[in-house]
Amino acid sequence: MERETGVWRLVFLALPLGVFTVLVIWPLASSFYYSFTNWNGFSDNFEFVGFLNFKKLWTDKLFFNAAVNTAIWMVAAVLIPTLLGLGLALLIDSRIPGGSVFKSIFYFPICLSAVVVGQIWIWIYQPDWGLLNVAIGAVTNTSPDFAWLAKPDTALGSVIAAWCWQHTGLAMVIYLAGLTSIPEDLLEVCEIEGASTWQRLRVVIIPLLTPATVVVVALNVINSLKGFEILYIMTGGGPFNSSDTLAMHMYNESFKKYLMGYGSAISVVLFIVALTIIGIYFRELKKVDEIYG
Amino acid sequence: MFSRSTMLMAAIVAPAIAAATPSFAQDGGEVSIMHYFTGALGLEVLQEIFNEFQEKSGVAIKESPIGHEDFKSGILVRAAGHNLPDVFSYWAGARTQFVIDHDSLRPIDDMWAANGLDNVIAKSVADGATVYNGKHYLVPFNYHYAGMFYNTKVMADAGITEMPKTWDEFLAMCETLNSKGVTPIALGSKNRWPAQFWFDYLVLRTAGTEYRAKLMDGSASYNDPEVQKAMGLWKELVDKGYFVANANADDWTDAGDKVARGDAAMTLMGTWITGYWNGIDLKPEADYNFFEFPQITEGLPNAVVGPVDGFVISANAANPEGAEKFLNFVVSDTDIQTKWASSRGALSANTGIDPSIYTPVMQKAAKAVADADAFVFNYDLSTPPPVAEVGLSMFSRFMDDPSKVDAILDQAAEDAKKAFTE
Repeated sequence: MERETGVWRLVFLALPLGVFTVLVIWPLASSFYYSFTNWNGFSDNFEFVGFLNFKKLWTDKLFFNAAVNTAIWMVAAVLIPTLLGLGLALLIDSRIPGGSVFKSIFYFPICLSAVVVGQIWIWIYQPDWGLLNVAIGAVTNTSPDFAWLAKPDTALGSVIAAWCWQHTGLAMVIYLAGLTSIPEDLLEVCEIEGASTWQRLRVVIIPLLTPATVVVVALNVINSLKGFEILYIMTGGGPFNSSDTLAMHMYNESFKKYLMGYGSAISVVLFIVALTIIGIYFRELKKVDEIYG
Repeated sequence: MFSRSTMLMAAIVAPAIAAATPSFAQDGGEVSIMHYFTGALGLEVLQEIFNEFQEKSGVAIKESPIGHEDFKSGILVRAAGHNLPDVFSYWAGARTQFVIDHDSLRPIDDMWAANGLDNVIAKSVADGATVYNGKHYLVPFNYHYAGMFYNTKVMADAGITEMPKTWDEFLAMCETLNSKGVTPIALGSKNRWPAQFWFDYLVLRTAGTEYRAKLMDGSASYNDPEVQKAMGLWKELVDKGYFVANANADDWTDAGDKVARGDAAMTLMGTWITGYWNGIDLKPEADYNFFEFPQITEGLPNAVVGPVDGFVISANAANPEGAEKFLNFVVSDTDIQTKWASSRGALSANTGIDPSIYTPVMQKAAKAVADADAFVFNYDLSTPPPVAEVGLSMFSRFMDDPSKVDAILDQAAEDAKKAFTE
């Protein structure tokens, strides 16, 4: 009987496992394989070059630039929506007038695709008539024409702002749900004992929101690792590679320069980075689970 | 009697077979074609062309259209999977050379000779675009020409009646426009490539075609005095405020819009801009026109710049006979060429085409190419793809901060040298 169940399990798992193998494992293994070759994507003839592609990473300035940008992207895309989401959730939870309307408004951007969000923000950043420059002009009584997405110093930051605008709403909603599970009597005790707002927040609310934080951070990490589209749409890694991330750099090397072997090496690095982050995350998650059950 | 399961099978299989079988009577087999002519106009006309071919030749077509940018990666993916279509559209020049160097294309010399294509295709286009490593590989479906497209009314309002032939006249014209409060030149270099025509023409007009060919094949360097001189002229234009601010923030259509609206006077662009402008109801000659990039150094050959869209046959094509029939059909049949060129704001390489099918502006463009000493491909089709990436980034870096031109050229020289060895 036991054995039969095992067989059936295998039978039922065969299809999803097969799909997973074809769509995930096989391409992954191929990337590892090609990262040791000088394949150009077209030719049947390519050679094994050992670790040459990985050695090249050390001298590739664009790779370093992309790695730094990826680090900035990962930190900002996780931290900012989380903190803003928490702030907004606390504000709305404090029953300010029109709270539920704001809740819907802040949540709305998450329903849009990266393409739509990217296009909206391209318009906002447009130098001549974009909302941002017009607003700055109205406040400062000047007529700025700063090209936010076309300047190397502001391109990445501008895309991060658009990304945060989209993802803050999700964090907010999860925190709002988390806030409803904090027992009222605990907060009453705080009031009776004369705790300041900051103390109440730091000692009671934020620790009790840990399960919500776990979910928010997890979603933000996963989303930010996947955050290729919005960058591709808004700057395409430009101007002149200043907003390249590793994913963008991999795409450029593989498909624009036809250096598929080198592109594969970059993807292997990206895979190892993602795996490390997820590994650390799961380890921390386990600790949280042990404390909160 | 059929059993229920047979009926069910038949119900599933029959429509599948019906869908897989083209509606035309076939004896010439099937040719698979992948192409990047996806815009509403291009695709619709192309499908009419496909239908006509199917009717006349008895060869069925299985097409897969895919957008320009996606095509560049899509065709690689198919090549990687040993799954190239029989025929695909491709850009003549370095990109085609690249595919040929990797044994992925089939020569078409026999078909070329059998159909006398030497007499069909304009020599100026045929020489550079169709022959690689001494063999014919590509038929030109259409080509484009890059010129200085301007807003007729803006020029007239500024009192400019004669278009410049020399660099000094060009500078004087820019100064006049500037003094009237019109930005002379629009450029939308967000996607980098629109800036390449400036580099192409400045190098061609100051250092000539031979030097440029050396730069494109790696035997000359980006910090040579020749390139420095060309970039110096470009910098002078930017420094004098002749270019729109924030060129890197705009797309080529944004630059086209600025000229159309009269915010800027002209833009250096390919003839496809006429298709774009006609689409927003601008009238050739009345609303827009073009002049040729002015002469700078006397005595150099008058070279013009542009891309050629072609069709090629993959080396492992399942139906090479059908594929060759198709290639011959799309380039030789004057009705087809007329239909295609007139619908797209493109020029036909077929010498049998009656020029009156073009708008007056396109007739002028066709004449500019016919009268030129040489037709060369624009930058990113003239140099190998890894090097083109270096140059394209260089152009947008330059437009961001022209004061760093020397450092930018040194960097490009170093990067290009590396890219040539990759």
